[in-house]
Amino acid sequence: MAFCDLKPVRVFDEASGCTFIIGDMFAVYPFGTDRPTVYNWNMMREVTESKKALVFKTEDSKYTIMKSCFLAREDYFRAIAIIESSRREAEFPYVHERRVLPLKHKYIDCATIADAYTGQVIIDEGDAAAAFITMMNVKLVKLLWLIALLIMLLTFGILHFFVGITRNNILYFIPISVAVGGIITLLVYLACHAVARNKYQKLAGCDPASEELITFVVCQFGFAACESCVYDSQELMPWRELDYFIETDKMFIFYKDNNAIVYMPKKAFEKKYIGGILDTIALHLEQK
Amino acid sequence: MSVDIKSEYVAIGGTNVLLVSVKGGSAVFGTCSAGHNLQRGDISTLKRIFYIANEPVVVMNCPNNGDKRTDRIMSISPGFGGMPHEISQVFAEALAKINRGESLEMGLREIFMLMPDGVYTVYPSEYYPTDGSGIFFWGAYNVGHEVHGTADYNRTIGMDKTYRPCFLVPCKTLDFYTQKNYNIAKEYVKSAKFDGITFHLSGLHSVLLRGYHNAAACAASDIPFKCAVIERISDPFTMPYAIQQEPQEPQPEGENAEDAKTAEAAAPKAAAIQEGITGFRSASVKLPIDIMPKEMLRILLENRREYKPTQYAPMISKLSVVRRRTVSNNVLPLEVLEKCELMPDCEMIESAFAINSLNEEQLQALLNGDVECNGEVIITPNFYSSIVTACNYLQFHDEKRFIEFAISIMENPELYATHEYIAKRVSRVGNKKIYQYFKSVIASGDPRYEKILVSADRYVKDYDSRH
Repeated sequence: MAFCDLKPVRVFDEASGCTFIIGDMFAVYPFGTDRPTVYNWNMMREVTESKKALVFKTEDSKYTIMKSCFLAREDYFRAIAIIESSRREAEFPYVHERRVLPLKHKYIDCATIADAYTGQVIIDEGDAAAAFITMMNVKLVKLLWLIALLIMLLTFGILHFFVGITRNNILYFIPISVAVGGIITLLVYLACHAVARNKYQKLAGCDPASEELITFVVCQFGFAACESCVYDSQELMPWRELDYFIETDKMFIFYKDNNAIVYMPKKAFEKKYIGGILDTIALHLEQK
Repeated sequence: MSVDIKSEYVAIGGTNVLLVSVKGGSAVFGTCSAGHNLQRGDISTLKRIFYIANEPVVVMNCPNNGDKRTDRIMSISPGFGGMPHEISQVFAEALAKINRGESLEMGLREIFMLMPDGVYTVYPSEYYPTDGSGIFFWGAYNVGHEVHGTADYNRTIGMDKTYRPCFLVPCKTLDFYTQKNYNIAKEYVKSAKFDGITFHLSGLHSVLLRGYHNAAACAASDIPFKCAVIERISDPFTMPYAIQQEPQEPQPEGENAEDAKTAEAAAPKAAAIQEGITGFRSASVKLPIDIMPKEMLRILLENRREYKPTQYAPMISKLSVVRRRTVSNNVLPLEVLEKCELMPDCEMIESAFAINSLNEEQLQALLNGDVECNGEVIITPNFYSSIVTACNYLQFHDEKRFIEFAISIMENPELYATHEYIAKRVSRVGNKKIYQYFKSVIASGDPRYEKILVSADRYVKDYDSRH
């Protein structure tokens, strides 16, 4: 199992007086008792990670651990990594907030990762927003042309309907239609930019990992994008977990089922390695 | 950080089980994951290793993503360069201590200091110095192969029953064998309380830490190979049980009927089911959470089942290296090899653990083609599996009944599918009755004996040459 070296996390919830241990098992020491109730992960009916708490539902009980109960951020990330990696074997339903990094159950233990490009960086909000905009441009470019053309025709039609086209005014109406089409398309484009930036900010707000130092690994067998505080350079996500990738000025963006699941900033790696990294990725994934 | 070792006896089902907890252990030897073999594009086979210091000793390939019910493909790691002398010395001193009369917890204390954090059980047990298929264990793992009985959960024994591992895996290469030590060991084992120390590895197999020449000597001299066994307790088990209720006395009709109704309402309506897991287990012990010492329970919960030691990187790098002397020129005494061939094999042992008893009525029911006797399943609902398991059970416990049962099966044309297997099993036993039966099979030329003929012919020739 990947992440098998992470030390179990012990959390004390002041509100309920319960002590929880998240490890190979999920153990609960209820208030005032010294014998825990221990659950195997396959006994979980559902684990939910919301903005404020982790909720564990078993057949008869429901346990809530507020995120504020974790003494250190590292403890929280360790707990999340243990829960997610346990899903590989236990396969319990897991409801979670949106993520900037892939879930840990997709990783496999590789023992040694040879000839790998490794880098560390905190994902920059500006870079990520720029990547979002670039992605949006890819999607919107045809649509924007279409919008421009339609608005031009519509403006031309409106002018003809209200004013009437004659030999004298047609030379004025064509530039006016083009200008209106262009301006409205530009406004749509700017609005989409704002939406894209907002979209990333929302995503980053959901996942505390967006403020963490992230380790990125690329090698011929797979890649990794994981919080540095829990990563021990022995886990990889095989390339088969991804469908294709897009390269922008500042990032590599990896997709699965048409959803971007990893944003890998180029600045995590030394510039001289970017070509090699691109070659390695392109050997295994389709570039769009 | 100093190593905190605590030991405690816990009473389970009338027997005292010795538990030892290790906190801050140096993880000098133990087992850990060596990941998936991505280089070969194989992500369904998980590799595990038994290591000593920074030497990978035994490689266990676990197919089906490490499925606990699948046998392991095992071999001595080609990169294993030998056990460091100082560690070998610790094992030797521990064996000497327990033979001088020290308790297991005190005698093995130095060994526990070298182990990963966790909770262990220690007990004395007898081992067969084979790999579980009649080959003397020391030279049996040079080539990687599927070793029967190495699955964590044995399909024949079942998930619920406990069993005692009894086969061995070496952690020393055959280079260390010397005739001089073998001769010394032959004298030593006659009076020793313990002949070896083992560490449970997987399924019915344990690694022999100390006592290699003793194992050979015991096999040659027909002396049981007595070992101190260390087993890690880490796997959870669940056994939903009902809280025992006192049976209600039947109330008389009439004036007390109302009281009876009130009493019925007051009684717990349904049997309570315990939440979560029941406890933790190893191969031989099942420990309910309720009786586990609190501190040990905490150690169990606050540590991972298996973790990588600090020397992991140099150790793993040796996996792909081939050591200088992969093949030893040493030759084991023929008497050891021959005696090992006659020892119970894995199939017999797992059947012995799977079945508590088998009476004549049940055997007769099996011969009649039934899997049930008096409304109860005799062994399993699968008929052929039941026949095979019954046969192996009898072979282990009662040779005479085994021979009679085996011949009855081979005489029954409806059990044709099992004939070849049963003939092979019965060929392992040197007996005049079998000889005469096989001779009659060859002489008859009956086509219904077609599947037995090869084994029968070989057996008769072998028997004739020996007698």
